[in-house]
Amino acid sequence: MRKYIETAKVLFKAQLVYHFDILLTVVFTISKILLAHVLWGAIFENQDTVSGFTYPSMLSYYIISSFITQLDQSAGTGGQIAAEIRSGRFSKYIVKPMSIFWYFTAQTAGVSAFLLSFNLLAALAWIFIFRVDFTITVDIAVILSALILILLGLLFMMQMNYYIGILAFKFLDTSVFSMIKDNVVRFVTGSLIPLALLPAGIVEIMRLFPFYYVSYLPSMLLIGKNESEALAGIIILACWNAAFGILNAATYKNLKMKYDGVGI
Amino acid sequence: MNIYKHLKIIWMLLKMKLARTMAFRFTFFGAFFVDGSMFLIQILMFNAIYSQTGSIGGWDKQQMLLFIGTFSLINAVNMAIYFFGVITIPWKIKSGDLDLYITKPVNTLFHISFENIDIGSVPLIFASLGIIAYAVSGMNVQITFWRVSGYFLLVGMMLILYYDMEVIMRTIPFFVIQASSIERFEGEAVTLCMKIPGTLFKGAFKVLFYLVLPYGIMATVPAQFFAGTLTPAGFLYSMCIVAAFTAFTLAFWKLGLKHYKSASS
Repeated sequence: MRKYIETAKVLFKAQLVYHFDILLTVVFTISKILLAHVLWGAIFENQDTVSGFTYPSMLSYYIISSFITQLDQSAGTGGQIAAEIRSGRFSKYIVKPMSIFWYFTAQTAGVSAFLLSFNLLAALAWIFIFRVDFTITVDIAVILSALILILLGLLFMMQMNYYIGILAFKFLDTSVFSMIKDNVVRFVTGSLIPLALLPAGIVEIMRLFPFYYVSYLPSMLLIGKNESEALAGIIILACWNAAFGILNAATYKNLKMKYDGVGI
Repeated sequence: MNIYKHLKIIWMLLKMKLARTMAFRFTFFGAFFVDGSMFLIQILMFNAIYSQTGSIGGWDKQQMLLFIGTFSLINAVNMAIYFFGVITIPWKIKSGDLDLYITKPVNTLFHISFENIDIGSVPLIFASLGIIAYAVSGMNVQITFWRVSGYFLLVGMMLILYYDMEVIMRTIPFFVIQASSIERFEGEAVTLCMKIPGTLFKGAFKVLFYLVLPYGIMATVPAQFFAGTLTPAGFLYSMCIVAAFTAFTLAFWKLGLKHYKSASS
């Protein structure tokens, strides 16, 4: 465990070198909030509520959802894994006396931990700049459930991106697949619009999949909605994590045999 | 140089690009699938929103679909023709590879712009035309030759504007070498403006996306023209913006080339 904590610490410190990039990443979260502000501002000019959301609760949803989404840095790690495999540099990870998956998870956790405070500051800045009447629950149990869901969600995203990354053993270039995945994930996790706007039947189906619980449900919980779904969400997301863990272990075991360490 | 010679060069560059692309067949239609999925999701998003409301800032569902289809079309033609060429400019400046282009008896910007034509993006053009046709079929407008011609003329003008913006952003590295943050900023601005019509912006954001970085007019103006909501002043304004930005792009590029130090880093 200690070696993974050290890995996370190194990556945490390494972010200081890229402070300008990090600052931009945080500042650019404004585009999501601005989109919500403009789009939903126009819609709420004609009506007071949309699918149970008022204008302040809608903006609060986007600010929280954007905050959670920014914490997830695993897509970059997935891309890094694929690039290292393609170039033949993955060998340096194989020789490390650590689990490769947990090594990359620790790396990503280090980056996310660094971003945490900046994202929080950005969220506060957007609340102030867009003069949002911010809505947040004060129920400790609900906040705790949301935090557990966020952690499980981050782990799930890491597992999924790791899986796509190691597919490079077979396909070499997984960048197209990864970009399509990013587009789909943005929609199904509720980053673009709250999933409550979708037809009830589709939402029911989405509840069986992990994406519903990655950022949508925690955001809803934090604005004081959908409290009854918290426990089921934690159980379902934990099951998906376990399933993906098995899938990743089996896939890595099978595909690593194709790795020649030469690169292209 | 005459047009025939330019077309011959484009044809030659296309053949060379095809030969290179065939080596990576898996990614041949990459841009089509990536951008196709993005616009499909945008349609799904607005479908969900319009199930809750009848209009967004005066844009009904069919008009919004036309807006999305128009941006998708502009983006697809951009990807197919010059995007993959223009995006290489910062790297060529940074690495000193631009030397190879400057010494050739072809206009440097022309050569770079057309050397990476992406045939894989062409299906996205047809998909976009499909979205536009579907949107128009549900609109209560009379389809005339002039309306269609005016629409495609405006799309053509906006393609020039899109090209201008891409070149301007990638000419900055002549002066600052490392400009990845500018490209990221461009990406965020384009993504934002392809999601909502420019007319929804107000105040400082309207000035930003209508004048300073006119991404806000790119799909909005042609869609407004087709829907019959574009005023003559709006039409004239967009023409002036395209002319002004094109003149600025050419002058800025020339200045950038003069500033080029031919030193890789």
